[in-house]
Amino acid sequence: PLLTDEEALLPAPQNISILSTNMKHFLTWSPVTVPGETVRYSVEFQGEYERDYANEIWIPISECSLITVTQCNVTEDISATVPYNLRVRANLGSRSSKWSTLKVLFNRITTFLTPPVMEVSTDGYHLLVKLEDLGPTFQFHIFYWRKGQESWVHKKTVKEISSVVHLDTMEAGAEYCVKAQTYVEAINRSSNFSQAQCVRGPDG
Amino acid sequence: TGNKILRFGPCMISMNVNEIRASFTAIKATIQAKDAIRTISILSYPYSLHNFNVDRCCIIHHLLRFYVDKVFKHCETEDSHVNRKISSIANSFLSIKKKFRQCNEQNVCDCGEEAIEKYKQILTNYGQLNITSAAMKSLGELDILLDWMEKA
Repeated sequence: PLLTDEEALLPAPQNISILSTNMKHFLTWSPVTVPGETVRYSVEFQGEYERDYANEIWIPISECSLITVTQCNVTEDISATVPYNLRVRANLGSRSSKWSTLKVLFNRITTFLTPPVMEVSTDGYHLLVKLEDLGPTFQFHIFYWRKGQESWVHKKTVKEISSVVHLDTMEAGAEYCVKAQTYVEAINRSSNFSQAQCVRGPDG
Repeated sequence: TGNKILRFGPCMISMNVNEIRASFTAIKATIQAKDAIRTISILSYPYSLHNFNVDRCCIIHHLLRFYVDKVFKHCETEDSHVNRKISSIANSFLSIKKKFRQCNEQNVCDCGEEAIEKYKQILTNYGQLNITSAAMKSLGELDILLDWMEKA
């Protein structure tokens, strides 16, 4: 179909892509610039269900309707482990550009999982670790061992983050090392391990 | 975190029931308010789904297909928030359906007479209403299905 004058004047957003880290998904694109004007953008999504069973309909994301920033948090709508498509268009007054659509469908199974930030400490003879709270989707696998007994590694799985996790009671004068990784059940994947941290218990 | 491994006969399926329940709870009142016909139930007439603990694999196989093929697509509303939650549930069901398909390729899902009769009754109940009313009612009964699914 021939471009109407209106469409020809308002270019579609370019460089549309998904940034996904730790199950938080953001659609981003390059700005469309029209000198002296404020260009706005609207975002829609389409899951595998919509493509295969619901006449390929698109669903608007109201929080990203006529926005001026070039980023949209789509985490809430990417809520199943199936391929999703996303699109964005520019709006200027009553004029709209063509839609720009992801080049490759996005599945949350590909999210980048960062090693967890952790802080190992002692309280008397107690070996403790503090982990960052990444939300209910995340579990933590914590591995700890006594230095010099690397073949005897203990594992603890933490499903819900509390402030501090008690790992073990240390022996006097012994040094203990701890490392951790995150695990997301919904996509059945783990992060890389955090850097091991070692602490020494009190002398006897 | 909500992910559970649920047993349906020979099939053990990992699914995040909490995610689906959260989406459903967010729209349940709106959906059920659209259901004006209180004398009919899709899933619970004449017998509760909870009576069926045999042939669970057969029943869930048919009900997943029922919801994916017949129900969700006829539930579009004028409310974008509701549509987004329905999309979330529908895509989660699709994800579960695909896992079942993998299991069914290696395992036989026994379908006894009672299970077949129950599914036929569900289709009959569904057929008594116009498509949109039937779909909305079926969606409004989703918690009945989720409760039954979790009764491993």
